[in-house]
Amino acid sequence: MAWPTTVGGECTSDGRGAAIGAKDRPGNLAGASDQQVVEWAKDGHEPAFRELVRRYERPVFSLVYRMVRDRALAEDLAQETFIKVLNGIRSYRPEFKFSSWIFKIANNAAIDHLRRRELDTLSLDGAPHAQTPEEMQATSLQLGSGQESPLDEVAARELGSHIERAIARLRPEYRACILLRHVEGHSYEEISQMLDLPLGTVKTYIHRGRNELRVYLEGVNE
Amino acid sequence: MVEPLRNPHLTPDEIELWAQGLLGAARVMHLADCGECLTAAERERKLLRDLVQLPRFGPEFGFAERVMAHVRVPTPSGDFGR
Repeated sequence: MAWPTTVGGECTSDGRGAAIGAKDRPGNLAGASDQQVVEWAKDGHEPAFRELVRRYERPVFSLVYRMVRDRALAEDLAQETFIKVLNGIRSYRPEFKFSSWIFKIANNAAIDHLRRRELDTLSLDGAPHAQTPEEMQATSLQLGSGQESPLDEVAARELGSHIERAIARLRPEYRACILLRHVEGHSYEEISQMLDLPLGTVKTYIHRGRNELRVYLEGVNE
Repeated sequence: MVEPLRNPHLTPDEIELWAQGLLGAARVMHLADCGECLTAAERERKLLRDLVQLPRFGPEFGFAERVMAHVRVPTPSGDFGR
């Protein structure tokens, strides 16, 4: 995607960018490190905000989507994540990787949603719209047992493969660790920071998650 | 079965390293003699490959605009431009 405010590697003056001294003006947003782009964003350079969205919209959306398995909801949670991150950009601590910070907030948003959903299920003994005992039973089984929820047509196409379905069966904590480690490529230490979990717990979750995935997938292949 | 002390089975961490091509040669040698570890390691490598190859999904068109509509861009003086 091309950004209209970035021309030939030089940012055009847009009123905000013009407030930045010429020596500090971003020369090449696409080639800059995350830390540098964040510094430009802190200085009020709007294209730097857009560059952070461009870099992370797909990885953040993918993580959240695989956590909640609902496209519209994932989009809302991803949007909420970016708004929180970008409005709090001045509180970002550069000793941490920017990617760790944004994935931490995205994962928290997804986990909070899954917990709220589980509470709704447990407290009402079925989904809120359930009227009859049969409906209550059907919806509580659907949402409360850790089984996959039904997918719409697009999600079924995108998340319907054996490996995606196996990931969906993992408990959320394992799923987050597996996705951050093996899909996004973060180190155990980074995941430990992101999820506020001891390093040993992260390793345990990842090993157990991989074991469960192998069992699910072997069942499919037999 | 008791493992030979000088050539124990690979740990899960070592299997992950092997699957990534990062395990030291001395430990890789174990796989030549141990069918059990080799089977486990090959299963692990296939799983990791499947995970790495998962596609990245994108949000609907206009996502950045929807985000930026809610973002307050700071000015150099420290307050917010909007």
